[in-house]
Amino acid sequence: MLKLQRWYKMNLGITATQYLEQVKNGSLTVEEFTAKTIERINKVEGSLHAYISLNDNAISQAKQIDKKLKAKEKVGACFGMPISIKDNICTKGMKTTCASKVLENFVAPYDATVVSKLKSQDAIITGKTNLDEFAMGISTEFSYFGPSRNPWNTDYVPGGSSGGSAVSVSALECLASLGSDTGGSVRNPASFCSVVGLKPTYGLVSRYGLISYANSIEQVGPIARTVEDTAFILNIISGIDSHDNTSVDNGKIDYTKDLDTGVEGKRIGIISEMTGEGVDKQVASATSKAISKFQDLGAECSEISLDSVKYSVATYYIIATTEAGSNLARYDNIRYGFDFDVEGYEFNAYISKARKNFGPEVTRRMILGSFVPSAGYVGKYFLKALKVRSKIKYQIEQAFKKFDLLIAPTVPILPFKIGEKVDDPLSLYLLDINTIIANLSGIPAISVPYEIAYGLPIGMQLFANSMQEKTLLQAARALEKTTNLPGVPI
Amino acid sequence: MVKREEIVHAANLIKIDLEDHEKYIEQVEKILNYFDILDKASAESEAFVTQEISLDKLRDDKHVPYDEKLILQLKNYKGSFVKAPKMV
Amino acid sequence: MTKIGLEIHCQLTKLESKLFCSCKADYRSFDINTNICPVCIGLPGSLPLLNKMAVEKGTMIALALGCKTPQKIAFFRKNYFYPDLPKNFQITQYNAYGPTSIGNDGKVLIENKEIRIRRIQLEEDPGRLVYEGTSEKTQLTLVDYNRAGTPLVEIVTEPDFETPKQVRLFLNVLADLVENLGVSDPSLEGALRVDGNISIDKGNRVEIKNVGSFRDIEKALHFEITRQQSLAERGIPIPAETRHWDEARKITVSARSKEEEQDYRYFLEADIPWILIESSVIDRLKKNMPESISSKKERYIKKYGIPLQVAEVLSSDKFYSDLFEQAHNEKNAKEIANIITTDLKGFADTKEQREQLKLTPKHLSDLADAIMNNKITRNSGKIALQEIVKTGKHLSEIISSLDLGHVDDESSLSKVIDEVFIEEQEAVSEAKNNSDTINYLVGKVMRKTKGKANPTLTLDIIKKKLDSQ
Repeated sequence: MLKLQRWYKMNLGITATQYLEQVKNGSLTVEEFTAKTIERINKVEGSLHAYISLNDNAISQAKQIDKKLKAKEKVGACFGMPISIKDNICTKGMKTTCASKVLENFVAPYDATVVSKLKSQDAIITGKTNLDEFAMGISTEFSYFGPSRNPWNTDYVPGGSSGGSAVSVSALECLASLGSDTGGSVRNPASFCSVVGLKPTYGLVSRYGLISYANSIEQVGPIARTVEDTAFILNIISGIDSHDNTSVDNGKIDYTKDLDTGVEGKRIGIISEMTGEGVDKQVASATSKAISKFQDLGAECSEISLDSVKYSVATYYIIATTEAGSNLARYDNIRYGFDFDVEGYEFNAYISKARKNFGPEVTRRMILGSFVPSAGYVGKYFLKALKVRSKIKYQIEQAFKKFDLLIAPTVPILPFKIGEKVDDPLSLYLLDINTIIANLSGIPAISVPYEIAYGLPIGMQLFANSMQEKTLLQAARALEKTTNLPGVPI
Repeated sequence: MVKREEIVHAANLIKIDLEDHEKYIEQVEKILNYFDILDKASAESEAFVTQEISLDKLRDDKHVPYDEKLILQLKNYKGSFVKAPKMV
Repeated sequence: MTKIGLEIHCQLTKLESKLFCSCKADYRSFDINTNICPVCIGLPGSLPLLNKMAVEKGTMIALALGCKTPQKIAFFRKNYFYPDLPKNFQITQYNAYGPTSIGNDGKVLIENKEIRIRRIQLEEDPGRLVYEGTSEKTQLTLVDYNRAGTPLVEIVTEPDFETPKQVRLFLNVLADLVENLGVSDPSLEGALRVDGNISIDKGNRVEIKNVGSFRDIEKALHFEITRQQSLAERGIPIPAETRHWDEARKITVSARSKEEEQDYRYFLEADIPWILIESSVIDRLKKNMPESISSKKERYIKKYGIPLQVAEVLSSDKFYSDLFEQAHNEKNAKEIANIITTDLKGFADTKEQREQLKLTPKHLSDLADAIMNNKITRNSGKIALQEIVKTGKHLSEIISSLDLGHVDDESSLSKVIDEVFIEEQEAVSEAKNNSDTINYLVGKVMRKTKGKANPTLTLDIIKKKLDSQ
């Protein structure tokens, strides 16, 4: 068993960058690597359940690319790289279920922009990954298809909502993945699974084809094993899109360029509200180590207080649930959805019955999202949250006048066991407290695998100012280079 | 403290039928109580975060037909209409 | 004192595409559910893309109605469930954070009464519902989404109307206005829909919905006033409610009262950023705005001496005024105006007639010039026009093929006159003394030549012949 695992890791445990090298110099064919990946998926999926559905055409697509290579034809930048896609991002011809009964038969007639960009660069989609239903959750326990499991210890949650994406990358079931981050849903599972996860600046990546949960907040984000790989994927998926009026022009920056610039002279702010009380001992000590490493590398680290952090969770959930309630209103099972005939039903009765098929977390958020903007309460909750969001944004803008980067652990605690927190929704919400300010203010943030404690991963989070992904990736790379983490045990 | 009837009313607005009343109402109540933390937040500025776009960046007024067979990929009735429950 | 307010929905049928996607704005020629796409049908993952021209045309309507137009406009979601609403929310405008809809605080003068326009907003039309059969066994609603996403401009007035007649006049002005601006064709079914609200003597306000046509809104309002007055006379309080216009019975009927008030939970549509409309854009729109109907009328009267009645007909019909503008020059303007408003009438009144019309502006100017230069008589002109409308042939071709040309040359005219002299010997002797009888003889010549004889020349020759006898 151990020998087989080692063999897999020697052959699959390469980075995307190494993959590209090997395919380009001919020491590896796309078909070989794809076949090994599929073998690996078949082997570990029983214990991990990262995927909801798989792409049956992967091998034939791989063969096509090998053919092109042999004939010295032009091949896209991904060279057949196997990439998984979170199942709330539309893929033409393949089901996109959002891990919900309500969309269990839905096949989108179009690709999300991020997917067509990857496909046009000859990436191979390995399959659609598991998530908390409609991306609402922190542990992937709210999936209609059952939870995904942490490859570092399968009794533990992989984080969420992009749990399946993080697991698939961490467990060598693909080279990279696209997740979505609304309150930390890319960074949190990246941290729990010991992989890199980036939430780009709001607007940097097109949301066309990302099934909306909270549309003023969310972004598609890459998950990969290294910072360099993450930058590579970001290059492909970022940029203004005519299908999405909220997307912005980034001047086609190359994020992989100058990655090793280092952090000499950079000012890094330690967010005191995220590094004090309430943080697990191991997480706190890992954070201190990371900070002193940055100082060794020539950065100036000092504390900064962002007191609006204490309001960020309430602000986020009020705004996100309001948007979610509206974004999910269309799921009345009339135009698409699951098998349930309308005949004989009156309109309101039918819709309520159809929508009983939402899971408990989605149901809770629908009710909250209807309550907080409703007449009589809108001023106290929704409008107030909008104002506090402005305040948070302002505080962060002020912070970036004094600092180039901010640092905090991605999650205040170590990964927890499956089932441990699922009946206490509020306790789960509070785990978002370190990640949410990036979503509310739109700034980019990244989680870098930093340490393993008691066999469980701890990720370190960096924030940069709006559109400063280059600075962010450079600092992440600098930190990454100081780590020497073990390979995934499965 | 919010009243239970108000939570039920909110659920009705969004067409969520609270079959297992107690569980959800309790959980939602607890979360709403947590949201009251915002009462302590001062919010002097009335302005808030918005994105802006210039008029000339908007979509040009052109008719581009989509696949006219799109309806066949959705739930449809006799290949044309979409079926909906009866309106009282 | 009667107070009436209106809420008008005007489809921008002249746009090429819908408000948030590239499907066709005018859905009427499509088979069921074939004018749809992921955006207007609200498929998961789709995003709205605002139509630039809709903002411009909406702003033009706002300017034409005297409204203030804000520098930034925004869109909101109005959340409710209905089968014709694919997303179960409508993207519309709402002045929650100050004025953010395309027009506010405008005014229009109707019969010297100032009607204030509260606001003008852009929003999307929902789809259409059809009910399968009428039997009780019907358990289905059928939906056609071709119309979903069609761009609408909603115009809300203050309750400044005092009579149903004022309402009708206003609606006619509005219909002419949107047609003149080139934004909408109000003759299309459903292109202009009106809801009203009415109260008498400071009583409760009653909403009237479901009025199918302009003619009906006046009837509905009259009915409502009568109904409310009769209640008031008997001391019965008028309930504040929504009533529907029953087309068949020509009465208003109380709509079933809803158990709960609708709570639309309006909030900003985050998929559409706020749109900056620079003052340079407003200036450009103002400059390029088509001339208003009243300004056209003034110009026709002052510049070309066109009589008032003719100018009114010409200016208030865009089709006619467009033809006029393209056809006329300084000299033949009055003649062309005349041809259009008297002769062309009957040939180009309906939409179908106008679509099939083979007449071009050049035809009109050729015709007017020919009449003014005495190449053909006005009578012949009428005949020629008929032919042009049908065939579109050149005027010169028609003149020769139908032999409409003036009988101009003296010798052929002389021959005809000689014939008439033989037939009308009594008249000829009378004519020597009686000028009226001369006209009678001219008339005979005209008839013989089927109206082609040059009247002036005919008179001349007859006189000469009479003198020489």
